[in-house]
Amino acid sequence: MKATDQATPVLVVRRQIAVPRERVFEAWLDSESLAHWMRPGDSTHAIVTVDPRVGGGFRIVMEGSSHGCVEHTGEYLAIEPPSRLSFTWISKFTDQRPTVVTIEFHERGGGTELVLTHRGLPPTEVEGHRKGWSDILRLLEAVLSGE
Amino acid sequence: MLNQVYGAIADPTRREILAILAEGETNVGSLAERFPISLNGVSKHVKVLERAGLVERTVLGREHRLRFNPEPLQEATMWLEHYRTFWEHRLGALEEFLLRKERRAASEHGHQSEESGR
Repeated sequence: MKATDQATPVLVVRRQIAVPRERVFEAWLDSESLAHWMRPGDSTHAIVTVDPRVGGGFRIVMEGSSHGCVEHTGEYLAIEPPSRLSFTWISKFTDQRPTVVTIEFHERGGGTELVLTHRGLPPTEVEGHRKGWSDILRLLEAVLSGE
Repeated sequence: MLNQVYGAIADPTRREILAILAEGETNVGSLAERFPISLNGVSKHVKVLERAGLVERTVLGREHRLRFNPEPLQEATMWLEHYRTFWEHRLGALEEFLLRKERRAASEHGHQSEESGR
């Protein structure tokens, strides 16, 4: 293994939810529902604003958690109801660098299998990202379609 | 620090240097022989890697031994560990939220099952 492979980390989390995927998908783009579950257990509340269209942004501020006030922001890259959603994700935990979250919603016996992939970007591409959002979108297309 | 790490590994020559050092310690001279650039040029790249903490130098008389230190790369991926827990908990909360909503909708609509016939 090359030393640099470690710089392109990928995290995959799966979950079965006994609710039709249309409704699971909707919960990701609705600010009211996001405010209910998009906050760590120890935070008092979350302030959520979303502009759910490709190129639109979101902002989630989790208040009163053990990490203090945590802000997450990002931009929607793909909105394909009810099967796929992708957005950039930036926070102090990503060193304010764009990471990419992609969620796939699969139908499983009336319920949903949700597969969430959170990936960092290779260092060379991270450098490229400083040039702006249009570059990010181009790079993302390459990263995601190269799977 | 993280910026220095990303900056250091953004360059292909420096990534190549790290790949060589990951196979074992070497000195600056034999490292430079493997690159088509000058000893001075390789030396500069090594200094950038040292500043990022990715390379450690031991001076033994006239010989400078270089060793790869992967620790800063691991730090650069710490967000991953943070988000593993974060997403597992958030997806749990999402499930709970949706199930509660389903139950409420079912009782409000005269106990019609939301899932039947779909």
